[in-house]
Amino acid sequence: MFGWEFPPHISGGLGTACYGLTKGLAINGVNVTFVMPKASGDEDTSYVKIVNGSDVEVDLQSSDFFQRTGQTSYIQVNSKLIPYVGLDDYYNVINQIESGVFEKSTSEKRKYIFSGKYGPNLMQEVNQYANIAAEIAKNEDFDLIHAHDWLTYRAGIAAKRASGKPLVVHIHATEFDRSGENYNDIVYGMEKEGMMASDAVCAVSDLTRNIVINKYGIPAEKVFTLHNAVEPNEKKVERQKFVSEKIVTFLGRVTFQKGPDYFVETAKRVLDKDPNVRFVLAGDGDMMPHIIERVAELGIADRFHFTGFLRGDDINKMFGMSDVYVMPSISEPFGISPLEAMRAHVPVVISKQSGVSEVLTHAIKVDFWDIDATADAIYGLLHYPALSKLFAEEGAAEVDNLKWEYVAKKLVKIYEKTLHYE
Amino acid sequence: MNKICFHFQISQPYRLRTYRFFDINQDHHYFDEYQNQYLTKRLAERCYLPANRMLLEIIRQNPDSFRCSFSISGSSIMLFKNYCPEVIESFKELVATGCVEITGSTYTHSIASLHGESAFMEQVRLQEELLMETFGVKPVSFCNTEIIYSDEIGEWLGNAGYRVILTEGARHILGWKSPTYLYCNPYQTDVRLLLRSYQLCDDITLRFADQSWDQYPLTAEKYMRFLENVNTESDTPLINLFWDYETIGEHYTADTGIFDFFKSLVTALIKHESYSFITPSEAIDLDLSPATMHAPWPISCSGEEKDTNEWIGNELQQEAFRQLFKLEPLYQKSDNVEAKLSWLRLQAADHFNFMSSKWFGHRFVKRNFEVYSSPYQAFINYMNVLNDVKLQLESKQNE
Repeated sequence: MFGWEFPPHISGGLGTACYGLTKGLAINGVNVTFVMPKASGDEDTSYVKIVNGSDVEVDLQSSDFFQRTGQTSYIQVNSKLIPYVGLDDYYNVINQIESGVFEKSTSEKRKYIFSGKYGPNLMQEVNQYANIAAEIAKNEDFDLIHAHDWLTYRAGIAAKRASGKPLVVHIHATEFDRSGENYNDIVYGMEKEGMMASDAVCAVSDLTRNIVINKYGIPAEKVFTLHNAVEPNEKKVERQKFVSEKIVTFLGRVTFQKGPDYFVETAKRVLDKDPNVRFVLAGDGDMMPHIIERVAELGIADRFHFTGFLRGDDINKMFGMSDVYVMPSISEPFGISPLEAMRAHVPVVISKQSGVSEVLTHAIKVDFWDIDATADAIYGLLHYPALSKLFAEEGAAEVDNLKWEYVAKKLVKIYEKTLHYE
Repeated sequence: MNKICFHFQISQPYRLRTYRFFDINQDHHYFDEYQNQYLTKRLAERCYLPANRMLLEIIRQNPDSFRCSFSISGSSIMLFKNYCPEVIESFKELVATGCVEITGSTYTHSIASLHGESAFMEQVRLQEELLMETFGVKPVSFCNTEIIYSDEIGEWLGNAGYRVILTEGARHILGWKSPTYLYCNPYQTDVRLLLRSYQLCDDITLRFADQSWDQYPLTAEKYMRFLENVNTESDTPLINLFWDYETIGEHYTADTGIFDFFKSLVTALIKHESYSFITPSEAIDLDLSPATMHAPWPISCSGEEKDTNEWIGNELQQEAFRQLFKLEPLYQKSDNVEAKLSWLRLQAADHFNFMSSKWFGHRFVKRNFEVYSSPYQAFINYMNVLNDVKLQLESKQNE
C-alpha cells in the first residue's frame, strides 16, 4: 500500500484514513505493507501482531528499510513528497523550508516558482518514488497494490509494471475538490493516468465517484464507493468548559474548499440574535488573513476566536468544549472530522456538498451557501436542549457503527473482485 | 346481514413555512401560503371534487342503499374556504342527500387528546361550531385524529354527548376478539365503538398498486371475496372501513383505476343481498348488545404497533409536545386571536410526524422527508414558530 502520511504525523484526514484502513484490513486477515515517503519512527503500530520470520529483503539505494512489525510493515522512502494538496501548496512548503521564512504567496510568486525552480523537482520526486516502488515490488511478496491519492499513483503504476499485480487506486480527493474549476493540468493528468492504469478505483463517496466517472471519464463499472469510517476513541472525551457561553466550532484547514468564510457570516447571523455564543475557528491556511479581516469588519472579534492548527489531544479538548461543530465545506470528498465530533458527543451541522453526509442520519445537513439555514440549525442546537441531547446519544451510537473493520470488509470484496476470486 | 360502514378522513394541515430563529419576535407569519394553496387546489382537483362527484352519482342511483361518512378537520374546511370554496359546496350537496354523515373530529387534526381533557375538548367544541356554521350539523359520532382512542378519551366524549366513536381494531387490545363486533366504553357503556378492520383497509391503502403483492391487481370481485372471508360468528357483523379520502385520486391517481375500483365495489356491495351500508350514527339504533373494550393506553391507526409513537415517540417530539401544551394557560388568557389560532394549528399531528425518527434509516417512507430534510430540521423549525407564538400569546394584543 502506497500512502504518504500516517498518525501521529498527519496534516489532515488522509493519514487517519490510512491508519483506519490498514487496521481494518488486519482484522479482516489481510497483510499490508505500507510504504510512505516520510516516516518518523513513532507511527502507531500497537494493534499489529508481531509475525516472525517475515524478513523480506529490500535492497533499495535511495530508501531505507524502516520498520516491519507483523501484519503491517512500514517502509520509509527518502523523499521530499509531503502530504497535501496541489502543486501550489507543495511549492509553498518547499519555499518555506528552503528560505526559512514564511513567504506570503501571491499568484505572481506562484507562477514564478511554478515555471522556475521547483516544478521539475516535484515531478522528479514523484518519479523517484515510482522507481523505488518498482524496486519494492520486485522484492516484496504480495497480491495486490493499493495507492492513495495522486502523488503515489506513479508509484502504484510502476509497482504494477514491475510485478504484474493488479492496482487499486484510492481517491480521497480529486483536483476538482482542491482547486475547483481552475484545476492543475499536471495533477489532473496524473490522477487520470493512475485511474486509467488501475484495475479498480475506490472513491470515498458517491459524490467523488461521480466526479471520477464524469470528469475523468473512468468506466463506472470499475469505480466503487468506499466510505470512510472513524476509529473509536481510546479515552472518553471529557466535557470541560472554561467559559459560560456556548461554543460553536469550525475545525479544518482554512482554505477555500472548507468554506471558512461561510462560518464567519453564519457567526454574525447568530450573534446578532444571541450574543452569548462564542465561535472558534481551529485551523490554519491561506484564507486566514481574509478571515481575520472579515471578522474585524463585522465587529464580532470579541466573540470569534482563532486557535491555529490543532492536533491530537488539543482536538479532543476542543471537542470537549464545543456545543456545536460546523463543517461548511464547499466541496468535501468525504470529511472525517464530523465523525470525530459526533464520537465526542458534539452535534454537527454539515454541508450537503460533503461525502460524509451520505452516511450520516444524525446530522443537520445544509447547503454550504445557505448561511440562514446554517445559522438556524446552530441556534436550534443551542437553544432546544432536547435536540442536542438526542443528537449526542444517537450521533455517538451512529458513529460507533461506522467501523473501519466494516469498510475494510467491503474493500476486501473489491480486492477479491479485482483478483477474480469470485 | 353484514353492515358496512364507510368512513373517509380529510385532515389537511396548515403547513409551516421555513421560519428562522431571527424571525422570532419579528415576523408572525408562520404558514406557507403558497404551499397550502397549491396543495389544497391539487387535492381538490385530483381527489375531493372527482371523488365527491363519484359518490353523488352513486347516491343518486341508489338513494336508499348507499351510506357513507366523513370527518373533515377544521383546518381542511378553512383551507377549502380560502382556496377552493367549491369543495365545500360539493360536500354540502353530499350532506343534503341525507346519505352522508359528517362526524365530529378535532379542529386542527390535533393530538390534544394525548395531553388532557381541557385542550382536547376545546378542539372538539371549536369543530362543533364550525360544522354547525358550515354544514348545519351537530355530530353524535366522533372520529379522533388518526383514530386515537383510549378509555379516558371515550369518557370525555361521552360526557360531551357523543354516542359513537370510530377507532382502530388494534390486535394487542382485542386479542382473539374480532373488530366486527360492536363494542362500548367501559365507563360509559352507551358510548359505542366501531373498530376498523385495518387489514381490509390496508389492502387498498397500502397494496392497491403493489405489483409484488400476490393479489395484484385488486379488483372489486377479489375484494368481495376478502369480505366474505372475514371471520365472524356474529349474526350482524360490522365491517368498518375507514380510509384517508386522499387514497382516491391522490395516493392512487385516477390512472391506477382507483375510481373505477371504488365504484364497482360499492355497486357490488349494493347488489349483494347480505350486505347493507350504515353510517356511524346508525350504529346507535342497531339491536346489538355491545361488548366492553378496555383501552387503558391510547391506540391509533399508526403502523403495526397501533400506538402513539409516531407523534410523541422520540425525545424531540416529547419536548415539542411538552412545550406546546405548557402554553395552554396562556391560550386561555390571551385575547390575541391570530396567536390563539396558530397555537391550535401547531397541535396538528402532521408537525409531529415530521419529527418522527420512527422511520430513521427507512428513506423509502417518503412523506417524512418531503418537507424537511430530517426530523431535526422539522423540530428546529417547529420550535422557532412555537417560541414566537408564545411571545405573541404573552403580548397584550395583536398589532
